[in-house]
Amino acid sequence: MKRFLIRKFRDFGLAVARQFASDLVDFRTGKKIGRALLLPWRGRIHVIGLDEAVQVAFIPQKRLTFWRQEIGFTVHPPSDFPHEPRS
Amino acid sequence: MSRVLNVVLAHTPPAEIARLAAWWGNVAAPESLLLIHGGPEADFPAIAVPNKVHVSSARLKTGDHPRERQSYTEVFAAASEWMKGRDFTHVYFAEFDHLPIVADLGRRQLERLASEKADVLCHGLRRVDDTGWHHYLYHSKAPEFHRHWERISRRADKRVIFSMLGTGSFWMRPAFDAVAAEKEPFPMYLEIYLPTLAHHLGYRVRSFVGEEQWVRNLGCFRGKLREARLAGAWTVHPVKSLEGLRWGGE
Repeated sequence: MKRFLIRKFRDFGLAVARQFASDLVDFRTGKKIGRALLLPWRGRIHVIGLDEAVQVAFIPQKRLTFWRQEIGFTVHPPSDFPHEPRS
Repeated sequence: MSRVLNVVLAHTPPAEIARLAAWWGNVAAPESLLLIHGGPEADFPAIAVPNKVHVSSARLKTGDHPRERQSYTEVFAAASEWMKGRDFTHVYFAEFDHLPIVADLGRRQLERLASEKADVLCHGLRRVDDTGWHHYLYHSKAPEFHRHWERISRRADKRVIFSMLGTGSFWMRPAFDAVAAEKEPFPMYLEIYLPTLAHHLGYRVRSFVGEEQWVRNLGCFRGKLREARLAGAWTVHPVKSLEGLRWGGE
């Protein structure tokens, strides 16, 4: 019962957060990779409501700027590793 | 000649397991079905299935599966042990609520495995290392997590970590036996552990592409089996009870 209530409370909180969430776009491909609410808090960025396996990185710049950098998001490409038999 | 063993894990009461075995009878001969029972030991004698094994493991009976790091290591070990001396070439592992809905499931899986040149097919496979994936973050806090994979991996990139939906997976037998033979050095959640272990042992792990809509971690597809079949699905998850359902006439 307690777990059920916690889950319901969490679902409600997430539903509210998603109203204020923004799209996350893969900075390599330009494709949408999810939605999340990003909150800077005490020196960290809290990512709320994201349900994808997303990596974070500073985005390389064409033009050097000393005053502004962007943090972006990306995902691993689909895995396609070959069979590697025991040597 | 390929021969698939269907390993079905269930903890439900004997009457529900009887319905489950009857359902699977539309897909596989009784001798190609192994029931792994994870429920109360007192129920085990009443389970009317020819091939059955009871597994009593605290790592199986978790309430909050990811946080308690539910494990199928003992389930895989029991199935692998049972297969010794039997000529199965492939293993399909499914939880009780992951239902087949096509009669020729094994043939389809074998063809997909061949076309993917894979050793393992699973649902919802994704690479999660160095991402914000919740299960990965939960495991990577421990320093021994990545150290373990670096120690056992035969891959060039030893940092690769996978996650999958653990409800159903199809295996070449050597891959299944190799994974079953490994001891879990410390508790890891099965959805991280199984695909990552198979990968680092050198096996090619691929996803069941196209099945995503009908194989999910939440919800219930009980009233949508016909729709799923018409949409081309091979299996559905979750369907928590078979009571009142009839193969082909749902």
